[in-house]
Amino acid sequence: MKYAFFQGCNIPIRIQQYATATEAVLKVFDVELHVENDFNCCGYPMRNVDEKSYILPSARNLALAEKACLDIMVLCNCCFQSLKKAQHVLANDEALAAELNEVLAREGLEYTGKTQVQHFLTILHDQIGIDTIKSKLHYRYTKLDCAVIHGCHLLRPRKITNFDDSFVPAITDSLMQAAGAKSIDWQGRLECCGAALAGINDELANSLLDEKIKGAQAAGVDFIVPICAYCYLQCDIAQVNNLKKQPDKATDTPFPVLLYPQLLGLCLGLPPTTLGLPDNQTISSDDIDSLQSLLGPPVEPKKSRKKVKTTT
Amino acid sequence: MNFNILLTLAVLTCLVGLALRLYAWFSQGIHPPSFSISPFQRLTWALQAVVATLFSGKVISLIKSIFTDLLFQKRIMQKSLLRWTAHSLIFAGFILLLLMHAMESVISANLFTNYVSTLNPYLFLRNLFGVMVIAGIGIAVFRRITLKSKRLISYNSDWAALILVGVIILSGMLLEGSRISSYTVFQSMMEEYGAFDEAEAANVEAFWVAENGLVSPNISGQIPAAQIELGREANSFSCIECHASNSSAFASYSLKGITRPFAMILGDSTAVGLFYFLHVLFCLTFLAWLPFSKMFHIISAPVSLLSRSVVGPGAQELEENEGPGLANTLTSQMVGLSACTHCGSCSTECSSSMFFESFKNDFILPSEKMQFLKHLAAGNPIDPQTRKQLQEGLYVCTSCDRCTEICPSGINLKGIFINARYALLEDGIPEKTLISHFSFPLALAQRYPDSHLKALKAVEEIFRRTFQKLTDLALPLSLSPAGGMLNDSYKSCYSCQRCTNICPVVRSYSNPVESLDMLPHQLIYSLGIGNSEVAMGSQMIWSCSTCYLCQEHCPNQVELTDIFYNLKNAALKKIDSGERS
Repeated sequence: MKYAFFQGCNIPIRIQQYATATEAVLKVFDVELHVENDFNCCGYPMRNVDEKSYILPSARNLALAEKACLDIMVLCNCCFQSLKKAQHVLANDEALAAELNEVLAREGLEYTGKTQVQHFLTILHDQIGIDTIKSKLHYRYTKLDCAVIHGCHLLRPRKITNFDDSFVPAITDSLMQAAGAKSIDWQGRLECCGAALAGINDELANSLLDEKIKGAQAAGVDFIVPICAYCYLQCDIAQVNNLKKQPDKATDTPFPVLLYPQLLGLCLGLPPTTLGLPDNQTISSDDIDSLQSLLGPPVEPKKSRKKVKTTT
Repeated sequence: MNFNILLTLAVLTCLVGLALRLYAWFSQGIHPPSFSISPFQRLTWALQAVVATLFSGKVISLIKSIFTDLLFQKRIMQKSLLRWTAHSLIFAGFILLLLMHAMESVISANLFTNYVSTLNPYLFLRNLFGVMVIAGIGIAVFRRITLKSKRLISYNSDWAALILVGVIILSGMLLEGSRISSYTVFQSMMEEYGAFDEAEAANVEAFWVAENGLVSPNISGQIPAAQIELGREANSFSCIECHASNSSAFASYSLKGITRPFAMILGDSTAVGLFYFLHVLFCLTFLAWLPFSKMFHIISAPVSLLSRSVVGPGAQELEENEGPGLANTLTSQMVGLSACTHCGSCSTECSSSMFFESFKNDFILPSEKMQFLKHLAAGNPIDPQTRKQLQEGLYVCTSCDRCTEICPSGINLKGIFINARYALLEDGIPEKTLISHFSFPLALAQRYPDSHLKALKAVEEIFRRTFQKLTDLALPLSLSPAGGMLNDSYKSCYSCQRCTNICPVVRSYSNPVESLDMLPHQLIYSLGIGNSEVAMGSQMIWSCSTCYLCQEHCPNQVELTDIFYNLKNAALKKIDSGERS
């Protein structure tokens, strides 16, 4: 399996560990990732301003992958939704497709819609499969409760993203369960992290973020696990920024945030530094130690297997 | 005018230019403003920083950078082998010619005991270096033409630089070529160095005509082989010590076909004089022009690269509003601006490149911003239209920092752009793309948060001027035919208010109507009665977290979030058209 690895703008500069951990994990399953340096922004930041300008960049990215005869693998939800949205719009609007293709033709590119766009989790869950993942495990968590925050643009609108059941998503649950971790049901699971409002209405963005952090705390989980790059940046960097801004909380320990490939990578026997765990601003060396101390043998206790059957 | 007068003029012009450039380094800057720091103070602080570096552990990274960044040009190598080849050919060829040939009396003559410019390897090397430069220019021209489709913009000054370097080399080769075939030059050399009797002289001449490209008025037609051999013998006794075969000057030798017609028309000594004049003229023009053009990067790019190697790429992340920190920030902005060669690497890889295609605003491309920002730094007046374009260009940026990563001159473009952004906002002219997701990385980086808030207020103000709010309306809302919306799914609304009930934004306010003007279901109602204006003016659409919960939960498939995006687009278009009319 080989994919064009679409990292977007945030991951290469602000969350490199998301890319390196993903690459390390996928290497275990012989998935090859081609980093296309020519990819540009997915268009998402322009969405408030102009719809056509929002679609064009994704059309070019899809055309680039098409030229390389590769399907695209995406990590960031907003990039994922933009690419999917562009495909959807262009499939239903021939005139627009022709217009955008005219721009692309200047660079010798053409969008015909051949390229598939897959989220990283879909590749793990559907292409690689839970059984293969389990067969490669060196360890399994004996007990690890996580608050997964899916991020809005992965699940919704379901008509466009087509990722999972947008009301009762199951992919993350089964992926977490494969590693022996538990994705608990909590209020923030399907909700917004506030990123789309940061810089436009910071107060509101921070109150939405705060709600998520407090929700995870109240749920008594060990880690927050954001799927989207923007959710990660909110929960990790913005959380730390916000604590620093409040004099009475400046010394508080931030709530630890973990990325799924980091969580899975430890079970695959990859070292924490390869997975970039120390790069997460909210994770201390104590967090890494306690995470590693939870690693047990890669066998699945019988009890939990039964549980899976009842939930699916 | 003789050579020395011209040289003096060129050197003086160059020195004045360099002084002006250095004065700009220490007197100008983009942002933050510094009214109280004198250029002398800035120079002192810069020198202090340099000295501090030299006496610290960082001197090792400095030395490493001299080899990897300056001499080997690793940063270009990493990004494009073709560019690296072009630049290395020009750089190495030109510098070696400068040292070995242009400064032969100072360098080569002292360094190599038996240096004679007409002997090998020097005769051959001069041509090799020249050909290297020409080849490099060829690749550079090829690159500028082929990358045009990838948004590499070339100015006349970019072509001028390539052409000037090219004609220096070419005129030098033509000069050498014309000298090779010149009988006058041959005669004077024979008189000066040769000790031949008449017969021997004739043989030597015949040999030079046959094998060294000389054109002699005395010899025409087939030369007997025996005479050539005699000439070769005489040549080997007397001439060969100081003059290698002209064919070693392979490039110039092959150009004699071009120089011969000139010699035939003008006479060979006039032709030599003409090419000499041209060569000197081009060289001195280059010298005089250097500080006023992008060629100044010969000085500024190494400074920029060395300072990057010491302070790292994120130097301007540190926010200092006074003292040496501020002074050095401004100085490094100026070094950066002067180190830009308009090579366009940043623009061809810019993540916002497609937004440039949509908006046709050159300032979206980093290289074009860089070229213009020197006017801002110098405090030159900028007309309002250009200013607006520049401001938009500075905001339509995904903050992916690729430009800063990629810049072969090691310029911290990111830092320059951040400061330019806030320098322009200081004037209070609102920038509407501020209310787009481009602001997310800005909020995360937390630079100048107060200026950012102030600018958001200015945008809010234009909204207030452009749109009426629901609460401003005195008359009852009238019904009018709906239309103009891209997405007409609002027509299916059956007023269940599920959207408002599930909205996390509405939930976040204790008095949502007061804070948001209208609630999601009310926005859809207003579209239903054909009033999109009041919807466009409401705070709700800009406070929408775009989580799509309303859209997903709507029992009748009203695509609320998509409609809100439509409304945001339409509102900004209306403001735009209002500003233009």
